[in-house]
Amino acid sequence: MASSAIVGFGMYLPKYRIRTAEIAAHWGEDPAGLMANLGVEEKTVPGKDEDSFTLGFEAGKMAIENAGIKASQISAIFVGSESHPYAVKPTSGMLAAALELDPFCHAADLEFACKAGTAAMQIGDAFVRSGQVNFAMAMGTDTAQGKPGDALEYTAAAGAAAVILCTATAKNALCKIDHTLSFTTDTPDFWRAADEKYPRHAGRFTGEPGYFHHMREAIKGILEIGNIKMKEIDHVILHMPNAKFPLRIAKECGISKEQLDHGFIVPTVGNTYSACSLLGLTNVLQKAKKGERILLVSYGSGAGCDAFLCTMLKNGAGLPPDTRAISYLPYSTYLEHSGALAAK
Amino acid sequence: MEKDIFLVGQGLTRFGEHWDRSLLNLMDEATEAALKNSGLNALDVDLVIVANMLGERTNNQAHLGALASALLPHHPPALRIESACGSGAMALHTAAAYLESKRAETVLVIGVEKMTDVSVDEVSAALMGAADSELDAPSGLTFPGIFGLITQRYMHEYGLTREQLSLVSAVHHRQGKENPFAQFRFDVSPEKVTASPMVADPLRLLDCSPVSDGAAVCILSTTHRSELRLAASQIASDSVSITERASITSFSATRDAMQRALKEAEIDREEIRALETHDCFSMAAIINMEDLGFAEPGEGISVYERIHAGDYPTFVNKSGGLKSCGHPVAATGIKQMIDIAKQLGASKEQYGLAHNFGGACASCGIHILENLDASS
Amino acid sequence: MSSPSIIHRAQKKRASKLQAGTVLSFTVLAHPPARFGKRPRQIGLIQLEDGSSVLAPLLAERPFIGQRVHARMRLSHVTEEKLRVYEVSYEALSEVPAIMEKTFPGYILALTGPSGVGKTTVSRMLVQMFSDVAVNVPIVTTRKEKPGDEGEYVYAPTTEFDEWKRGGLLVAATDIPSRGEHRQYGYRRADFEAIWKEGKLPVVITEMHLLKDLANTFGRRSILSFGLLPPGKSKRAKLSQLLHRLRKRGRETEAHIQDRLKNAERDLAFFKERSDLFDHVVVNKDLNVVIRSMQKRIPGLSQA
Repeated sequence: MASSAIVGFGMYLPKYRIRTAEIAAHWGEDPAGLMANLGVEEKTVPGKDEDSFTLGFEAGKMAIENAGIKASQISAIFVGSESHPYAVKPTSGMLAAALELDPFCHAADLEFACKAGTAAMQIGDAFVRSGQVNFAMAMGTDTAQGKPGDALEYTAAAGAAAVILCTATAKNALCKIDHTLSFTTDTPDFWRAADEKYPRHAGRFTGEPGYFHHMREAIKGILEIGNIKMKEIDHVILHMPNAKFPLRIAKECGISKEQLDHGFIVPTVGNTYSACSLLGLTNVLQKAKKGERILLVSYGSGAGCDAFLCTMLKNGAGLPPDTRAISYLPYSTYLEHSGALAAK
Repeated sequence: MEKDIFLVGQGLTRFGEHWDRSLLNLMDEATEAALKNSGLNALDVDLVIVANMLGERTNNQAHLGALASALLPHHPPALRIESACGSGAMALHTAAAYLESKRAETVLVIGVEKMTDVSVDEVSAALMGAADSELDAPSGLTFPGIFGLITQRYMHEYGLTREQLSLVSAVHHRQGKENPFAQFRFDVSPEKVTASPMVADPLRLLDCSPVSDGAAVCILSTTHRSELRLAASQIASDSVSITERASITSFSATRDAMQRALKEAEIDREEIRALETHDCFSMAAIINMEDLGFAEPGEGISVYERIHAGDYPTFVNKSGGLKSCGHPVAATGIKQMIDIAKQLGASKEQYGLAHNFGGACASCGIHILENLDASS
Repeated sequence: MSSPSIIHRAQKKRASKLQAGTVLSFTVLAHPPARFGKRPRQIGLIQLEDGSSVLAPLLAERPFIGQRVHARMRLSHVTEEKLRVYEVSYEALSEVPAIMEKTFPGYILALTGPSGVGKTTVSRMLVQMFSDVAVNVPIVTTRKEKPGDEGEYVYAPTTEFDEWKRGGLLVAATDIPSRGEHRQYGYRRADFEAIWKEGKLPVVITEMHLLKDLANTFGRRSILSFGLLPPGKSKRAKLSQLLHRLRKRGRETEAHIQDRLKNAERDLAFFKERSDLFDHVVVNKDLNVVIRSMQKRIPGLSQA
């Protein structure tokens, strides 16, 4: 069956940041220890007027410009997030209208913790390959929240990434999806009840039974169906809940620092949840060369992994540079931005 | 003017926060004062026109024509006019049309506003009804914000400084001190204006006219006579939203109405010796001087600089303007007419002009009064 | 008063607002309407590219009239019924982060423009007027000293230049072909660091390749980049202005001038293609006007 390929991509990060040291200073924790444990120096913080819809809009708009197509040519959009603006009223519908996609557009919202964005990419891939649509947009967007005082506060970040898929034989096709695979279980490592504001996690249980087990299986699986050895892959992007977990699974699976390099964004961005691995992918797509192989493995708590094996069909090109000034927030302002001080 | 129309009676309440008086009480007080002043009988009134902007939102009261009519024993025909802050002038203009067409012979024109029964937020939102609800309000703009934008642009185009702008309210307060009907009768130094809290950068609290309650009444007649004749009544319009203007530092509605008013009265502007302009914000006072033709564009401040320095004939906003008198929105246009009438009576000069507008001058009404008793 | 039908109608008009624009005016409401929260709200009157104007939130740390802005999708407010209302806001994309007083660690002021536009004159004036704050960075070049050179160059033989390049001592380097000869130009890192050490602002007169290199080396955000354009409405008018100025300067042969003009045409196109490399583009018609408009836009100099 025909393959799909990424023909355009986009991303958006808010311009605000908070440093690990700043959060640590507030709670009287040792920043050096945190850096050693998590490897995250700073994370993105959404503006008070930003949410998963607005972040997704910016990423989607950039992807459409990057693909060089008309928005109305896109007739499928799938949006993954853990922080959809509404529980009922789809982000995908709001984006389809705001981005002016084909009104006859397939659209749905997805949730699968941090892998909802890649799940969207798999659905887009299938819609294109089946011939149901010519162009499909897949997006991961999140304004992740960590409860003040909880360990997640250091890594829960905000960002969005979008890819546009079309048939791999198209003239401008950039990166072909050769294989994709998912591994799914029911694992209570991380959850958020419908009426709760912040997620809960199961401490050390999130490691081996959660992240590592699923990543290991998915990596094994994709290498097998792709009939490829790890050392033949040029770029590897792994889901990054922090800096330590992906480095550990990388070591175990024989992935080198060089292979991880371009997509390893977590130290200065944090974990953007549904956007995380897709953001790593957009970084790689800008720098990878024709013929290079890319492995992307994302992880979503609950739990599951999506893995993709791809081939660059031409050299990647840079996205327009972000010329805004980064603004570092003090902890009190960060609380206001993250909605913890919601007056209503 | 198709007919000779005379101002035969005037009355007003003090402007301010009248906690124990309702909209109806205010209309009643001013009407009684005007009838007494005119020496006429209530039964002489054959039409009542009420100018009011916010009744529905601030008082749960529409239908003000009918309500006011009931103040008079014979329930004369009545109607209500609205043109935002320019409702007063608009009501006078409507009265003039009725009188010229002979559909009425003696018209009681009431301008009234009761703004203090609702919260400041609610009044602010209600006043935005004078702007465009689809183009201006969604961004969160308030009226001080609209004039803040105008002031910022004006300062950029003409180099007006903060210190210069502060002279305007200082002058208005100094003049209002002598006006027993003014809401604020105390001096405010330019330094105090500059130091007052920021409202909409660069406009500060003391650059803005206050929220007030009040009523003002004029009685106009063709059958009864007085020494005050209506020489001109002209209205003009402009786009409501500032996003649809070519320039935001000059108001075409003022220029249009002024040109036609001078033509109707057959006079030159130099003959005007009593002038009440619409200073909803200090910036507006400066722009008004330019639009009315008393200063070149960019030089409106020079009038206030000279008044402040004491070497300009003080016939500009002698009442203290909206800043010092208070601004019960729809009452202002009527009050201005009363002010120029008083000033002409006292000075024995011949011509006076009242300039009133709504919103960011999307509607403007100009009236010129002639003192037939003037010493020539 | 945002009911579903009002929100629905407003949404339809959003697409037309997604354009870049220029700030016509702005204000900050100290007490915006309750639905926007407690903090002051900055609103701009923006003229969009199609000539229409809109009122919308202006996202800029240091706004000014004439500032270029880009459209952004933002959350306006949440209604009492928890419906989310979105609006188009306008963001200034290239703002230089706050420069403290008179120390400029890591920041560079760059003047770029075609030959003959007057960069040297402008920068010399700037450095003269604000000598306790701004210092010219010498351009290293392999070409020979010429009459008319006024101390803006450091001359080095090709071998030394190449050595510096190889040794990583240059932060930017380019070669500009001229009549078959290849002349190299660049800047030394040490020259920047010496200026920063004194707490002063390095000023570079530069052209497109060097500017790109500087942005790559120091980061785009470290550079407050001014493009200098010759006056003239059309490209032809601009080029003829340059020609006139180059001839008046009397520093070069006609053949060299023709070369420069060819480069100039490319330079003018560069302003458009790489507008992301420029914070402000100023037309050099009147030297005093240029200096004043630059001074306004260089934090730290307006108080100087």
